[in-house]
Amino acid sequence: MKFLCVPCDKPMQLSEATPPDRGSVSLVYACDACGYEMAMLTNPQETQVVTSLGVKIGKDGAAESKCPFTGMLADMENEDTIRWTSEAQDRLSSVPAFVRSMAKNGIEKYARDQGYAEVDEKVLDEARSHFGM
Amino acid sequence: MKSYYDITGDGGSNIVEQVGAMQAAIGEKLAGVKHRVAIGSGKGGVGKSTLTRQLATALRQRGNACAILDADLNGPSQARLSGLQDVPLLPGAEGVALPKDADGVGVVSLGSLVPENEAVSFDTVAEGDSYTWRATREFTAVAELLSSIDWGHLDYLLIDLPPGAERTLQFAEFLGSQTAFMLVTVPSDLARGVVARSVAALRGTPNRVLGYVENMRGYWCDACSDVRPLFPESERIDLGISRLGSVPFDPQLAAACDRGELAIGQDRPWWIAVQKLAETVEETIESKPGSGGE
Repeated sequence: MKFLCVPCDKPMQLSEATPPDRGSVSLVYACDACGYEMAMLTNPQETQVVTSLGVKIGKDGAAESKCPFTGMLADMENEDTIRWTSEAQDRLSSVPAFVRSMAKNGIEKYARDQGYAEVDEKVLDEARSHFGM
Repeated sequence: MKSYYDITGDGGSNIVEQVGAMQAAIGEKLAGVKHRVAIGSGKGGVGKSTLTRQLATALRQRGNACAILDADLNGPSQARLSGLQDVPLLPGAEGVALPKDADGVGVVSLGSLVPENEAVSFDTVAEGDSYTWRATREFTAVAELLSSIDWGHLDYLLIDLPPGAERTLQFAEFLGSQTAFMLVTVPSDLARGVVARSVAALRGTPNRVLGYVENMRGYWCDACSDVRPLFPESERIDLGISRLGSVPFDPQLAAACDRGELAIGQDRPWWIAVQKLAETVEETIESKPGSGGE
């Protein structure tokens, strides 16, 4: 979707996006030529359809939707806290967001079973060997 | 006044670019995959997943590097079939490591992550209106899996599709023309009629249809050591594509699938039929399109 300033016949640019409010996102577009601003206000269905494409809406993903499966994950939270090194966290980011928390839980279960208090790259590599990968 | 196509870029939303980046990442991750074969039907309950699983084992035993993507997000079964129900996705240096079963077949299935007593659900801001976005979200989820797994070098990536003739067409468009299709039916007219719809739907795509497999063509009876009739067999509905093989049902196989056991009854008729199928799939996919026949 693009927006055109009709009087100037110039494309408008996204200038501001607000996080979802009850599923609605506000996106402000401005014309660089005349300064005119307009806002597109989505309904929850429109917001969801776009975020279902796996994209972030707005600059820096201001209107990014939450991780799916959240409700289910709440029931799967572990009681003990396992620390993660920043290198291991970086690796974890390669897991798709929609299954990342579940993968994290599985890795932490492995770490706990092995008596580790922290997940680092060595633990991740060890887990791969353990599971035959 | 300018039209849509007169304007370069999208004014900063960057959505088209993000979708393009995802497609590029899929291409990059699948660069080492020689053959992509989607296994569908249109009809549910014809044994697509079980056949996919066994075909992967047979292809592997013939020396092929092989993996399965369980694209049936709502009814993932490949994890149980492969004995990988409690194996987490593990991030490696080159992406998410490909989980492998005891046969060395790679298996990616939400069944490894979501307990069987839990529905696969997505968080949403449009609660109660999932019909407006769910299909898009599911395809994006499959895209995210394809683009994040370190598939490495594979001879075959088998993609286990969900049921639905229209879904089969959607997957053809989603997976692109380099993905070939193999359809599964059972001998009844009821199933063949639905599979015929999938064949018709795929006819409008550039994807190659390797042929179909007639699954559950009779069942193996241990007591009489023979294959007995299971369905009212009929071929009144001509599918118009090559039959790649016929596989009998075996109650022992069904029990083994429930237990997630892979190697059973290597001399059983179903396994001999699956081995023959693997050979036929290899020959067909290496041949020029249109050179096969029943």
